[in-house]
Amino acid sequence: MFGRTWFLIVMLAGGLAAVGWALHGSRLPPADFTFYNESELKSVDPAMITGHPEGRIAWALYEGLTRPRGEDNRAEPGTAHRWDISDDGRIYTFYLREDARWSNGDPVTSRDFLYSMRRLLDPLNRAEYSYQAWYIANAKRYTYGAKGISPGDPVEVELNRAPEQPNTTRGKLLFGKLVRTEEGDKTGGDSARSRVFVVDINGGERRFMSTDDDEAVPTGVEPCRQVLLDFREVGLRAIDERTLEIRLENPTHYFLDLLAFYPLAPVHQGCLERYGNPDWKRPENIVTNGAFRLSQRRIRDRIRLVKSDTYWDRANVRLNVIDALSIEDRTTGLNLYLTGKCDWTTQPPPNAIRELLAAKPPRNDLNPAPQLTTYFYLMNTTRYPLNDVRVRRALSMALDRDEITRVATAAGEKPAFSLVPPGLVGYTQQNCDPRNPDEARKLLADAGYPGGTGFPKLEIHYNSDQVHQSIAELARKQWQRELGITVTLRNEEWASAQETQRQMQYMVSRRAWVGDYVDPNTFLDMYITGGPNNNTGFSNAEYDRLIAEAAKEIDGEKRLEMLQQAERILMDELPIIPIFHYVSRNLVKPYVRGWYNTLQDSHHLRDIWIDRTVDPNDPRPNEYMGRTP
Amino acid sequence: MTTFVVRRLIGIALTLLVVYTITFFLVRAVPGGPFSGERQLDPEIEANFKRVYNLDLPVYQQYFIEIGRALRGNLGLSQRLQDFTVSDVIIQGFPISAALGSLALTFAILLGMAAGITSAVYRGSAADVLLMSAATIGIAVPSFVIASLAILLFVFLVPLFPAAGWGTVWHLVLPALCLGTLYAAEIARITRTGMLDTLSQDYIRTAQAKGLSQAAVVLRHALPGTMLPVVSFLGPATAGILTGSVVIEKIFAIPGLGWHFVQAALQRDFTLEMGLVLLYTALLCVMNFLVDISYAILDPRVELK
Repeated sequence: MFGRTWFLIVMLAGGLAAVGWALHGSRLPPADFTFYNESELKSVDPAMITGHPEGRIAWALYEGLTRPRGEDNRAEPGTAHRWDISDDGRIYTFYLREDARWSNGDPVTSRDFLYSMRRLLDPLNRAEYSYQAWYIANAKRYTYGAKGISPGDPVEVELNRAPEQPNTTRGKLLFGKLVRTEEGDKTGGDSARSRVFVVDINGGERRFMSTDDDEAVPTGVEPCRQVLLDFREVGLRAIDERTLEIRLENPTHYFLDLLAFYPLAPVHQGCLERYGNPDWKRPENIVTNGAFRLSQRRIRDRIRLVKSDTYWDRANVRLNVIDALSIEDRTTGLNLYLTGKCDWTTQPPPNAIRELLAAKPPRNDLNPAPQLTTYFYLMNTTRYPLNDVRVRRALSMALDRDEITRVATAAGEKPAFSLVPPGLVGYTQQNCDPRNPDEARKLLADAGYPGGTGFPKLEIHYNSDQVHQSIAELARKQWQRELGITVTLRNEEWASAQETQRQMQYMVSRRAWVGDYVDPNTFLDMYITGGPNNNTGFSNAEYDRLIAEAAKEIDGEKRLEMLQQAERILMDELPIIPIFHYVSRNLVKPYVRGWYNTLQDSHHLRDIWIDRTVDPNDPRPNEYMGRTP
Repeated sequence: MTTFVVRRLIGIALTLLVVYTITFFLVRAVPGGPFSGERQLDPEIEANFKRVYNLDLPVYQQYFIEIGRALRGNLGLSQRLQDFTVSDVIIQGFPISAALGSLALTFAILLGMAAGITSAVYRGSAADVLLMSAATIGIAVPSFVIASLAILLFVFLVPLFPAAGWGTVWHLVLPALCLGTLYAAEIARITRTGMLDTLSQDYIRTAQAKGLSQAAVVLRHALPGTMLPVVSFLGPATAGILTGSVVIEKIFAIPGLGWHFVQAALQRDFTLEMGLVLLYTALLCVMNFLVDISYAILDPRVELK
C-alpha cells in the first residue's frame, strides 16, 4: 500500500513541477504594441530570409544605406545621409552618417557594408536574395563561383577553415590568376567534385580542388573551400570609413529602392565572427543598427523588440516595446485581435474576411488595398496540347475571373488580365484578351478540337490550400462548360508542388508572384529563356532582347516602353494566365497611428505610434483607413 | 530485476537505431528538401552548396555521416528555424508541452476514473448510460471541435479565459481541459471495463463477505486491480501527450513541440524531424518501461524477469 501511495504522490508532484518549470520566467511585462506576425521566423539574419514575417522584423532590426519611407516604401536616406550619382547612372557614392551606430556603440562604416554584401553574395551562404545585389558590377559572377570565372580572371582561393574556427568566418584567402580549370573524371557522377583549378599565385602555379576531405585529393593538388572571382573585382569600394562607392552593371532605376530592402542591410562582422552561427543571433549576443533591438525570443510564441538607444533617428521612434506574435493559426490570430490582445493582425482567415467586410456599420479597422501581387496559372508550353498558343488563349478567354474573385477569394480582389499589377507609376499594363467564350470555342476548334473533341484530359495542379482548391474547381467548371474539355485536379503539399513546377511535371499549375521591388521588371524578367523561375518552357528571342535592353536603358520612359512591349508579347503568347491581383487584409486598431497601406504590404514599425486619445468607437480616420496606395 | 532493466535498455537502444534509420530514409524519399524555396537558385550555385554540405552524396553515405553526429549527441541546426539548434527547439518546447500534458493528464485521470468507477458500480443505471454515452462522444468528437466550442463559450460568450497564448496558468486551463477530455473519455471506458472485471473476482466476494462497506470494497480492494489496464493505456498516452498535441497547440497558440512535428515534416526540416522522432521514440520506450515497473508495484502477482 505504501508503494501505491508513493507512486501517486510522485506522479502528482512531477506534474506540478513540470507546470512550474514551464511557466517559470515566461511572464513578460506587456508591450506597447503587439501584432500578429504569422508563422515562426526562418531567421533574423537579413541576408538569409525572404518572407513577410521575417521582413517585418529585419526592417526593425537593421537599416541599409537607404530606408523605405512609410507612406509608399520609396527610398529615403538611411544609414547614408546623402549620395551622388554619376551622369551615366552607374556609379553611386554614398556618404554615411556620423551618428549611424550599432547597438553596441560601434560606428556603422563602409567596411560593414562591404563585409555584409560580400556575405550576401557568397555562393556558399546560399542567400536566396543574393540576386538583389547582382545589379552591382561583377556581383553575379562572384555568386556564380566556378561558373563565373574563366582563364585569366583574378580569383580568390578560400582555403578550408581550421577546425576550431567559428563557422561564420572564412578560410584563409589566396589571391591569384586563374590559369585553367581541369574537368575531373566524369565517371564519378558529379564532375564538379573532382574539378581542379590551376591558379597562378605570385608567379607559381598551384592546383586546388574544392573539398573538405584531405584524403580525396590527388598528389600535387591542395584542398580548398572554393575558388571564385576575386571580390575586389566586384563594384564595391570603401573610399574611406564613411564613403562607399558602388559601381553598377547597368543604370538601374530602382537601385536606391533596392538598397532599402533588408537583404542589403549590414550585419556586424565582429559579432558574427565572435559567436558563430547560430549563436550570434541570440538576443544576448546580436548587434544591430536599426530602430529596434532584439530583446527576447520564444520559438513559436513571440519576438520582443525594444527601441534602440543608439539609432540615429531615435527621436522619431515612438514605440518602446513591441511584441511580434509567431502564431501559425490565422483564426487564433484573429481571436487575439478581437479580444484586444493584439493591435494588428496581418491575415484574418478567408472565411472570416467575408463576414468582416460585410459588417454593418462598416468596420473602422479594415481597409483592403491592392497589392503588387498576381495570382496566375502556369502553362506548360512544352507539352501537347498547351504548346499551341490558340489553346492557351482559348483557356484564358473561357475563364470567368469575376466569378472567381466573387466566389473564391471574396476580399475585393481585382480580376487580372496582365502579369504586372496596376499601381506602378508611368507603366501601362498590357492585357490579354477579355473573357469571350465564343471566340475561345472558335480558337479551340481552329487548334483542332471542335467542341473539345479529341482534347486530352487537362490537369490543374496546385498546392494544397482551401482557396487554391476552390479556384481550381471554378476554373474546371468554367473550362468544362465553355470548351467541352475534361479537366481534373491534382494537389500536393507546398514543397512537393514546388518540385513538380521546377521539373515541369504539370500541365497547368498555380503560382503567385509578389513584386520584390516596385517596378514591372520584378515580374517580367522571370520569363526570359531559361530563367530560374520561368518553369513554363516559354522562350522568345524578342522578349529576351527587350528585357536585356531595358536593363541597360538610361532613359526611364524608354525603359518602361520596352517593358510594356515585353509584356505585350507575354500576354499574346500566354505562357501564364493571370487570374487576379491580391488585396491586403490587415486589421489595425483605430488607435494605431503611422500605419500606411502600401503596394507591397510592408509596414515599418519605426513609423508606428499609439494614440490612446482615440475613442475606439468614434475614431477620426487614422492613416490606415484614410488612404489607399 | 537488474537483468530486466539491462535487457530493456538494450531493447530501447536498438529501437532508437531502427526508428532513426527508417525515418532517415523515409524523409529523404519525399520530393523537395530543406533548402528548396519559392525562388529557384541557379543550378551551379545549388550544386556548389550541396557539395559543401555533402548533400550531393548518395543517401547511404549521408546516413553514416549523420548518424555519427547524432551518436556524439549533436542533433545539428534546425534547417528551417535557422536561428536555433534542434536541441534549442526541444529545450524550449518540451517543458511547455509537458506542462500542458501533465495538467491535461491529471484532469483526464481524475475525471475518467471517477466516471468509470461510477458507471461500473451503478451498472445499467441511467448514470451509467449517460456517462458512457458522454465518453463515446468524447472519443468520437475531434479535439478541434471541442476547442472551438470551448473558445466560443469561455472566451467570447463568457469571457473567462484568454483566447490563446502562453505565460500564465490561465492560459493553460482551456487547452488542458480540451486536451484532457479525449483522454478522460478513453480512461472512463477502460476503468469501467476493468472495474466490472475486478468486481466479479473471488477476492472481492471475500471482502464483501467480511462485511466491508461498498466504498471500502471498491476503493481499497477493487481499485488497484482496475488500475492495471489504465496504467498500460497511460504509458503510451503519456509519451504522446507530453510531446504535445498538434491540434490543441495550434488552436491555442501554445509554443510546445506538437506543431513542430507537423511543420518539420511539411517544411522538410530533416534535422528537426529526426530530433523530434528520436525524442518521441525515447519517451515512448521509457514510458512503456515505467508501465512495466509500475505493474509490479500495483499488482504483487506480477514479477519482473
